[in-house]
Amino acid sequence: MATIKIDGLKKRYANGFEAIHGIDLDVADGELVVIVGPSGCGKSTLLRMVAGLETITEGTLSIDGTVVNDHEPGQRDIAMVFQNYALYPHMSVFNNMAYGLRNRGVGREEIKRKVADVAAILELGDLLDRKPAQLSGGQRQRVAMGRAIVRDPKVFLFDEPLSNLDAKLRVQMRIEIKRLQRRLGTTSLYVTHDQVEAMTLADRLVVMNAGRPEQIGTPMDIYTNPASMFVAGFIGSPAMNFLALERMEGGRLRLPGSEAMLAEDDGSNGAPVLGIRPEHMRTVGTAADADIVLSVDAIEPLGADTLVYGRALGQEGEIVLRLGGSHSIGEGDNLPVAFDRNHLHFFDRANGRRADVRT
Amino acid sequence: MQKRVTFSHRYLPYLLVAPQIIITVIFFIWPAGQAVVQSVLVEDAFGLSTEFVWFENYQELFADPSYLQTFYRTIVFSFSTAALAMGFSLLLAVMADRIIKGESVYKTMLIWPYAVAPALAGVLWFMMFNPTIGIISFLLGKVGVSWNHYLNGDQAFLLVVIAAAWKQISYNFVFFLAGLQAVPRSLIEAAAIDGAGPFRRFWSIVFPLLSPTTFFLLVVNLVYAFFDTFAVIHATTQGGPAKATEILVYKVFNDGFIGLDLGGSAAQSVVLMVIVIVLTIVQFKYVERKVAY
Amino acid sequence: MVENRPFLTLLSHLIMIAGVAIVALPVWIAFVISTMDATDLLGGVAPLWPGDQFLENYATILFQGEQASSAPPVLLMMTNSLIMALGIAIGKIVISIISAYAIVYFRFPFRMFFFWMIFMTLMLPVEVRIMPTFKVIADLNMLNSYAGLTIPLIASATATFLFRQFFLTVPEELLEAARIDGAGPVKFFIDILLPLSRTNIAALFVILFIYGWNQYLWPLIVTTEDSYYTVVMGVQRMVAVPDADPIWHYVMTTALLGMLPPALVVLFMQKLFVKGLVEQEK
Repeated sequence: MATIKIDGLKKRYANGFEAIHGIDLDVADGELVVIVGPSGCGKSTLLRMVAGLETITEGTLSIDGTVVNDHEPGQRDIAMVFQNYALYPHMSVFNNMAYGLRNRGVGREEIKRKVADVAAILELGDLLDRKPAQLSGGQRQRVAMGRAIVRDPKVFLFDEPLSNLDAKLRVQMRIEIKRLQRRLGTTSLYVTHDQVEAMTLADRLVVMNAGRPEQIGTPMDIYTNPASMFVAGFIGSPAMNFLALERMEGGRLRLPGSEAMLAEDDGSNGAPVLGIRPEHMRTVGTAADADIVLSVDAIEPLGADTLVYGRALGQEGEIVLRLGGSHSIGEGDNLPVAFDRNHLHFFDRANGRRADVRT
Repeated sequence: MQKRVTFSHRYLPYLLVAPQIIITVIFFIWPAGQAVVQSVLVEDAFGLSTEFVWFENYQELFADPSYLQTFYRTIVFSFSTAALAMGFSLLLAVMADRIIKGESVYKTMLIWPYAVAPALAGVLWFMMFNPTIGIISFLLGKVGVSWNHYLNGDQAFLLVVIAAAWKQISYNFVFFLAGLQAVPRSLIEAAAIDGAGPFRRFWSIVFPLLSPTTFFLLVVNLVYAFFDTFAVIHATTQGGPAKATEILVYKVFNDGFIGLDLGGSAAQSVVLMVIVIVLTIVQFKYVERKVAY
Repeated sequence: MVENRPFLTLLSHLIMIAGVAIVALPVWIAFVISTMDATDLLGGVAPLWPGDQFLENYATILFQGEQASSAPPVLLMMTNSLIMALGIAIGKIVISIISAYAIVYFRFPFRMFFFWMIFMTLMLPVEVRIMPTFKVIADLNMLNSYAGLTIPLIASATATFLFRQFFLTVPEELLEAARIDGAGPVKFFIDILLPLSRTNIAALFVILFIYGWNQYLWPLIVTTEDSYYTVVMGVQRMVAVPDADPIWHYVMTTALLGMLPPALVVLFMQKLFVKGLVEQEK
């Protein structure tokens, strides 16, 4: 059992490129922290620095109170699950799992026992003599997990472990990973670009953008109080809608062409932006009750929900609306839409940060 | 060029490259350097003193009609050998590609000559053409050609070309066949639908698509004919009769070991090095292109 | 084929058979001659069907050698050839795989310098530097020794490139997983990389064995004692007898024995052989 303390960590490559601009993060014992962000945001680099596969340019990394900056990956007592699994192709499943134990001088009998235990948990018992090439994608994924678990390390590191699976298996393995992590109680860092995976797995989320952590918090915290337009747009699917606001005399904010004032002055001079999630909008009977009138140009009935796409007067971007159940809305309809006043988000266009306004 | 994650170790990488580097320096780079140095020196008759003579050895070399003749002969020899070996192999590869049943049997029967040493290939054909016991000279005699490569320079030349080409057949065959099998079937079928017959299809579709292979093999065959055929000649005609089969590599050996003309032999070596370097660059340029395809 | 033309298919078979016959004919004739005795060949052209001296000729050549040119027994020469071929093949593979490993998996000063140095050997075949190389061997007292026969030939740019090329295709994550599993550079090489290189090593071995066995110029200049002759160069001694015809049935017996081991290697390891041939040129 272990804690991870990341303190002012920076990564600069020899060519001068700075991949990580400094990050602080404390991971509690047994916690599952998911690092999420678009590709190139530095999330994998961060994980690989924790693993010891990338050198640390600045800052300290401690595992269980020991600074491990200069420790070899093999000495850090971590295990990692790779996106492409990285199973040793010439070794049987048993040997793949046993290799790390052997290198640590674990006795033959103990290796056998440990591998058998883990194989039972992951239902790999019948596959121990197979080579990786003889396994399906899902089975390989399990072996990769088994190889990590069998070592009983202080920390698990997951580098997009589900990206190579098909959609159905991904959902299944996602749940399985969460159960396993809970059962073993091993401190874990998990990197993904998939926000659904991030939301469902994480005890805490780190949303990264361009080498910086944009926000760190519980999934629900991040969903309800996104700290920036980037976080707001990245977490949640379909993504949050952003609408331009007008600043009226007296500093009050309203949608262009609408009478209803949405908020008091934010006290700044920046261009205000309203953020509203598709699920926090509803249709109303008349245009008079509506915040915007959506001219519908596409509809996606999903069964449980219906997604309605369209445009509104005075707004540049496309607006999407999520309605429960099914609806008889047609393309070309003009749909009066009202916003849930409890779920309005305000941002400053200039810096993308959340703006504190009174509603 | 390298892995993203690498090991860092103070002395291990040097230890790992050391054997290769030591051998390269002692047996490749040092002697090559010596050849270059020798080629600008002249030693007196008793080997007591040497004199730096700039490019005199080279000037002498290229003023020597017998060297120029050898040069010319080497070029004729190399291209003849390459043409014969490649033409014959291409014919067989095209036929093998046509055949569906038994292709692998033919393949097996054609690849083993690769294993025959050039010297032994030379000896075999030397025997086949031997004026007394050779079956080919016997058959040639029947049609009125009197064959004696001990006396007739042209015949000796033809003999070494045939022997050298014979050994190269399997190599060319393997690559031509691979090249042919890589030609997309759909292209050939499209041409057939467009009404092109087998011969037309070959010249207008298959052969152009095969040109990278052909070019690559041409370079390989030229290199082979330039250097590896030393054994064919040394084991059979020994450059004779009257130097009719003396090629550059043979001359370097002969002038150095038998004639003991160190400066001249060294200058010849340097000329050969330049030829290899040019051929290697051509080959690597081509490999670059192959990657881009 | 695209269209069914029985005539063309028949023609293809005929040409193939003719081709195979042309390729095989010299070896067949050589075999016929190797089963003759001296008197059979006095009458002129060699016959097309074997004689009855097979065992006698082969036994004589293998165990006694040809007396006229005082060549050593072929068995001895074949042993030398075997030692040379194995020495060269194994030596080349060993030093090439470790230097490729260093170049791909380590970052160290002069890495590219070493790489280009190895590359240069490609441009310096023995043939172009015969005299000075001979002098080096002589100065190092390596004439007439197995070390002299093999070591100077085992530097190999081609083999190094081949392994380098292969190592570059090995997924990065394998090294990372191994490091996390606690493997250092030596362990990773032995436990992971070497087993993964098995087929490449085998294919290369086939090619290099043939290369080593068929060396001619090199043994010619570094051996002056009969006891170090290799079979491929030894044949030449029997052919080039001054002022006399070669003793053809012994020459052919020796030549066939000299080509047998590499030919068997090619035939029995055809797949690996073709792989080695093609990969070498990548």
